[in-house]
Amino acid sequence: MSVTPEKLLVVNDLSTTFATAGGPLPAVANVSFDLTRNETIGIVGESGSGKTVLSRTIMGLQPRTNVAVTGSVLLNGNEMVGTAESVKRGLWGTEVAMVFQDPMTSLNPVMRIGKQIDETLRVRLGMSKQDAKARAIELLELVGIPSPSQRYDAFPGQLSGGMRQRVVIAIALACSPKLLMADEPTTGLDVTIQAQILNLLDELKERLHMSVVLVTHDLGVVATRTSRIVVMYAGRIVEIGSTRDVFANHRMPYTRALLESSPKVSNASHTRLITIPGRPPNLLKLTQGCSFAPRCAYASDKCHQERPELQGADQPGHSFACWNPLPTTRGDSAS
Amino acid sequence: MTDTTQPLLKVRDLKVIFGKGHHAVSAVAGVSFDIFEGETLGLVGESGCGKSTTGKALMRIVEPSSGSIELDGTDLAELKKGGRQLRNIRTRMQMIFQDPISSLNPRRRVKDIVAEPLDCWKTVSGHERDVLVSDLLSKVGIDPAVYGNRYARQFSGGQCQRISIARSLAMRPKLLICDEMVSALDVSVQAQILNLLEDLKAEYGLTLLFIAHDLAVVKNVSDRVAVMYLGKICEIGPADALYEAPAHPYTKFLLGAALEADPDSPIHSQVLEGEPPSPMNPPSGCRFRTRCPKATELCASEEPMSQEVAPGHQVACHFPLSITRK
Repeated sequence: MSVTPEKLLVVNDLSTTFATAGGPLPAVANVSFDLTRNETIGIVGESGSGKTVLSRTIMGLQPRTNVAVTGSVLLNGNEMVGTAESVKRGLWGTEVAMVFQDPMTSLNPVMRIGKQIDETLRVRLGMSKQDAKARAIELLELVGIPSPSQRYDAFPGQLSGGMRQRVVIAIALACSPKLLMADEPTTGLDVTIQAQILNLLDELKERLHMSVVLVTHDLGVVATRTSRIVVMYAGRIVEIGSTRDVFANHRMPYTRALLESSPKVSNASHTRLITIPGRPPNLLKLTQGCSFAPRCAYASDKCHQERPELQGADQPGHSFACWNPLPTTRGDSAS
Repeated sequence: MTDTTQPLLKVRDLKVIFGKGHHAVSAVAGVSFDIFEGETLGLVGESGCGKSTTGKALMRIVEPSSGSIELDGTDLAELKKGGRQLRNIRTRMQMIFQDPISSLNPRRRVKDIVAEPLDCWKTVSGHERDVLVSDLLSKVGIDPAVYGNRYARQFSGGQCQRISIARSLAMRPKLLICDEMVSALDVSVQAQILNLLEDLKAEYGLTLLFIAHDLAVVKNVSDRVAVMYLGKICEIGPADALYEAPAHPYTKFLLGAALEADPDSPIHSQVLEGEPPSPMNPPSGCRFRTRCPKATELCASEEPMSQEVAPGHQVACHFPLSITRK
C-alpha cells in the first residue's frame, strides 16, 4: 500500500463464474492483463463475450450470491477480489470509478443532477454543502455542460442522452479516480455526440492523469483512442497487443473476422462483407477445445480437443490464443 | 439504377405532424424523394431526425399529415384508412423493424409466423402453402425441417431477423422498408444479415428503402443515400459520390464523426458542436443553421431549396461545399 506500484492495474488469472439453473456459467475465464498509469486500454468483443462482467469484476461490483470469483485484481496495490464491501467502498470513487452504458438508468430520474454529484463529494470527501455545490458546478463545467449553475438544478429527464452521459462522467470524476472504467460509454448515442464524448474522455484523461479502460463492441471506438486492445471471445482473452498490432498484424482468426465483418465508410457501396458462420457459443455448453473452433475456417482436430493458451507473437506485448494462427503479414494470408 | 423509367415510389412533400397547437411536433417536415425499381435508397440521420417516422408514414402505420406517396402511380396517402384498397396495396410493400425479437410473437411457431400473410390473403393453401413457407425459410438460412416447429422465443436476435425477412417476403412485395434492421445485432451477425439482404434483393428483384443511423452500414447496401436532419432531407445523391464529396455541411460533419476501425484514421479534429434543436421549435430558414459554421443571415431568413450540384446529387443549402473531386 505504501509504495506506489508501477502498474496501476494488474489482473491475474481472473475468473467469474455464475451459478445458474443450467449449471456453472464461466462468464470470464482466466483473464490476465495489466495497465500502466495514464494508459487507455480497449476491451472489445461481441455481446456475451464477458467484457462487461470483466469490467464489473475489476470494480468489485459482482452480485453477492451465486457468483464465484477467483484470481486477483490489484488496483494500485489494493486487492479487489474477496475484499469486504466496506473496504471496496473506500476505493470506489477515489481509486476507480465507472461510467455505465445507459445514462438514463444510471442516474436517479427524480433527483436533481447537482444533488447526485454532491452526494459523492459529501459522502466520500466530507465536503460541506457549499463546497460540494461549488465543486459540482466546476465538474459540470469540466465535462462541457453549458450554463452549469442552471443545469445543477435540472432533472435527468430534462437533459438529452449526450448531456446525461456527461453528467455520469462528472459523477465518476468527482473524487478524481486514478482509473476510469468506461463500459460502452457511447453506445446509444448519435455519431456526432459520440465523437464529442470520446474527445471529452481523451481530454480529461490527459488533464487528470487517469488511466482508462474502454469497454466496447465497436472497433471504431478503440481504433484511435487506445494504446492497447484486449479482444475477448466467450469469456477469454483471445488476442492482446498494441492497437496497431491487433489491427494490422492480428494472428487470431476471430480478430480478423471481427475486423472484416464490420462495414467501412471507406469501402465502395455494395462491397461484399466477409462473414463467419454461426454465432457466439452458449457459455453453458462450452467444449474443451477452442471456443471459436466451431466457427473457424482454420480449425483442425486439435482446436476441437485442446484449448490454446495465450502465446507471444513477434512484437513484444502481443499475444494470441490459437493453434493455427494467421501468417504474420496479411499479404501472405491470401495465398 | 434506371433513371429514365418511372420511379416505383414517388414521395412528394410528405409531412407528419404529431400533436396539435403549440404542442405540435413536425417529425417529418416535407420530404420528397423517388425510389426507382431495383435500387436501394439509404436514409440516414441521427436520432430524432424523422427517418423512422418517414418509413412508417410510407406504410401508413403513422398517418401522414399531408403530401403524396405514389407507389406505381397509386397515391397511398389518398386511400381510405383501413380500406380495401390500402390493404391491397400493402401486400406490395413490407416493413422490417429494428427489434427482431419484439416484432415476432414469442408464442407462435416459426412456420406459422411466416405463413401468416399467406393465411390472411388466402392466396395459397394446404400443401402449396407449406412448400412456400419451407422455401422462404430455406432462403433466409433457417432449416424448415429442424426449426419450423420451434417457437419464436427460442431464437436469437439474428435468427429472428431472418424469420422477419422470410415473413416480409411471403407476399412477394416489390418494396421493402428496412428500419434499423441490423442495429441490434452483433457485427458478425450483422454482416450475415446484410449479405443475405443483398442476395434476396437480387433474387426477388426487390427495391429497398434502408433506414439506419450507421453510415458505414448504409453505404454498404445503398445505391443512393438521403441524409435527414430535423425532419428534412438535406442532401441526396449516389452513395459513393455523396460519401466521397458531401455537399452539405451537415453531411460532412456526420461523415467526419463516423469512426473507422483503423488506427491510422484521423482523430476527429472538427467535431460538430451542440445538439440538434427541438423539432417542436425548429430554427427559421435552414434547420441546420444553429450548428453550421458557414451560416449567414440568409440562412436564418430563407429556407434553402434543393438544388442539383451534380447529376442526381441534390443539396438543400445556400452555400454548398465544392464537390470537385480530388
